[in-house]
Amino acid sequence: MAEATKYFINGVGIISPQKTYDPNVFLTDITRYDQNVLTCIAPDFKAYINPIQMRRLSRMLRIGLSAATICLRNSRISIPDGIITATGYGFLEETAKFLQEILVQGERQLTPTYFMQSTSNALAGLVALTIKCMGYNNTYASRGFAFENALTDAMMQLNENASANILIGSYDEAAEVQYKASIRAHHFKTEYVNNLSLFNTNTRGSIQGEGSAFFMLSGKPSESTWGILDDIHQVYRPEQGALSSELEIFLRKNDVTNKSIDLIISGASGDSQHDAVLNALINTFFDDLPQARFKHLSGEYCTATAFAVWLGASILKRQQVPEVVVVDTAKIARRPGTILIVNHYMGKSFTYILLKRI
Amino acid sequence: MSQRVFITGFGIITSIGKNAEENLRSLIEGRCGYGPLEVLDSIHRQSVLACEIKMDEPQLCEAAGVRHSGGFTRTSLLGLIALHEAISSARLSVEDVKSSGLISATTTGGIREFEKYYHELMDPTLSGDFERFTDTATSGEHCERIADHVGIRKYLGTVSTACSSSANAMMHGAQLIKNNKLPRVICGGSEALSKFTVNGFNTLMILDSEHCRPFDSTRNGLNLGEGAAYIVLESEDSVAQSRKNPIAELKGYGNANDAFHQTASSPDGAGAIMAMKLALDSGQVQPSDIDYINAHGTATENNDLSEGLGIKRLFGDSIPYFSSTKPYTGHTLAAAGSVEAAFCLLALRKGMIWPNLNYKNVMPELGIEPVTQLKRGISLKNVLSNSFGFGGNTSSLLLASV
Repeated sequence: MAEATKYFINGVGIISPQKTYDPNVFLTDITRYDQNVLTCIAPDFKAYINPIQMRRLSRMLRIGLSAATICLRNSRISIPDGIITATGYGFLEETAKFLQEILVQGERQLTPTYFMQSTSNALAGLVALTIKCMGYNNTYASRGFAFENALTDAMMQLNENASANILIGSYDEAAEVQYKASIRAHHFKTEYVNNLSLFNTNTRGSIQGEGSAFFMLSGKPSESTWGILDDIHQVYRPEQGALSSELEIFLRKNDVTNKSIDLIISGASGDSQHDAVLNALINTFFDDLPQARFKHLSGEYCTATAFAVWLGASILKRQQVPEVVVVDTAKIARRPGTILIVNHYMGKSFTYILLKRI
Repeated sequence: MSQRVFITGFGIITSIGKNAEENLRSLIEGRCGYGPLEVLDSIHRQSVLACEIKMDEPQLCEAAGVRHSGGFTRTSLLGLIALHEAISSARLSVEDVKSSGLISATTTGGIREFEKYYHELMDPTLSGDFERFTDTATSGEHCERIADHVGIRKYLGTVSTACSSSANAMMHGAQLIKNNKLPRVICGGSEALSKFTVNGFNTLMILDSEHCRPFDSTRNGLNLGEGAAYIVLESEDSVAQSRKNPIAELKGYGNANDAFHQTASSPDGAGAIMAMKLALDSGQVQPSDIDYINAHGTATENNDLSEGLGIKRLFGDSIPYFSSTKPYTGHTLAAAGSVEAAFCLLALRKGMIWPNLNYKNVMPELGIEPVTQLKRGISLKNVLSNSFGFGGNTSSLLLASV
């Protein structure tokens, strides 16, 4: 039997509320936010987008196209074989602009660009158009599972053709409409907190984040490989005990025990109620293991697992765990080789992702 | 790997019927859903005619079997109605449903309700019944909603690639089966008309103020529609275990990108050709094996020329029967792929080909003509269903009789 396909992360490009757009810099300069909404620290877009094209693009399309370009350059691939994007919110800023025009102007004299740039696949289409990539193209908009679907899809594409290069990207924006509507549903905290103290709070809700992260996934390693994506699993609305039993199956299937894992990346969001469930799971399985957290840096959003994958891939490549993500400084992963990401989105969508050092 | 992917059931609701039987009767009798908007409140009610499902919220709730005040959006309600029919037509038990995945497609999810309660939702000091629509601006909301209602947990996904969305949902489902990740995946899409979409397409100036005429030289744009359809995909093993007789096979599929323009197709149909060719290759069939193409055929100037040239270039001198069923249902956007896949399944079952209504004049650039009268007694083995969309997305499904 042929050896099972491995999935190599051969490039990254990420724009987030931290200064992450330079793949050679790794969380050295941390930004603090005090208003519960974390927005992207963008690079100079001119370095990635031509000025004629740029004028027509919304903020998030600029961020997304730049992140994709950074990833393409980082992986030294000009045209991949496929492009898959993921978003939970979609282009809500543009959606809201068009909606407001409809409501305020009574369905008259509307701006078509807002509508055109509101479709969830606008970024995947824009990237394909910009680099003339006629290959496989798909977009998932599955809230807490969008990025997970995209990874699963990419892995299946590589099972068919291991030499393919698939560009996978996420985007979600901290749109005012999203924030205002869902703060009511306890998605976000009602009292202001400093993001760097997120995990010292004991209240419901998280803080709003955003970001766009791209990865080049291939069945073959390259000079620029960051790490290996081993497997991914999603658990939706788990019944009593299902989180544990599904995790056991996932670990067994991948031939991993808690002794062979070097670091857990927890998707704790600062929401006291939801984090309690996640922490209980992590403590039961991996009590002694070093742990890292990231949502105080990225904020919470539907595709935040993409930030976690970038964090994990960076740790594997650099063999270094930045102190700002470490949960307990008494437990630091020395030579991280296997990383497990355990995420929750709103306590409803759970994800396990296994990353390995090349 | 490489399990074959069978289809064991489907469900559908469109402006021409609230189940498969009603849709079939309308297709045979040439009955269309086109007319003024009566349920959706818009200033364009009389000027932008569309293929609307003439059921209001209480009627849809009743048909879907849910409480009126349960916070279900129109997209979710349409989805649930089609999903219930798909589940019963494939004779899935409660346990079967639980072990299935659900891949659903939509372009705007519950924007219809979000736009209705926008001012209330944007004012955090207000509270009331509108709060049950809090999350409806996101596309994924409808998928979780309907999955929760029927008890699907195993695998959820929402696809949003504009007008090719539900074709791509079916492809993702098929791949999950081929990779042995799931024994059964219910795939499709749901789309409700909203002020947002009506005005969006209206500002792009691609709506015909008259009934649409796909592949006709006088075509002048599309008509919008709404609807939902879900197709039950099962693995070879799952079908063997349950000793079911599948109704068809999802034999191949292709997905490509035209990479030509943000909202327009390339004039030479490059993306269309790639998608169709990939579908043929993955199903290991030749162009000459194709008996019928259910074209995307939106009746926009651009789509029909691009798609028509693509068909001509790929099939050369022996063009298969082809037609667009958009005059019946309007363009149901994200749901179009699964709605038209369902029409292909009905065609395979009945040995019929649905006519391309409203066609009169040949396009001089094309010189090929769609099927204009209902054809009966045709032996159909392999049919293609095309779905193309904004962002350059092109997809094609190959459905085969078993």
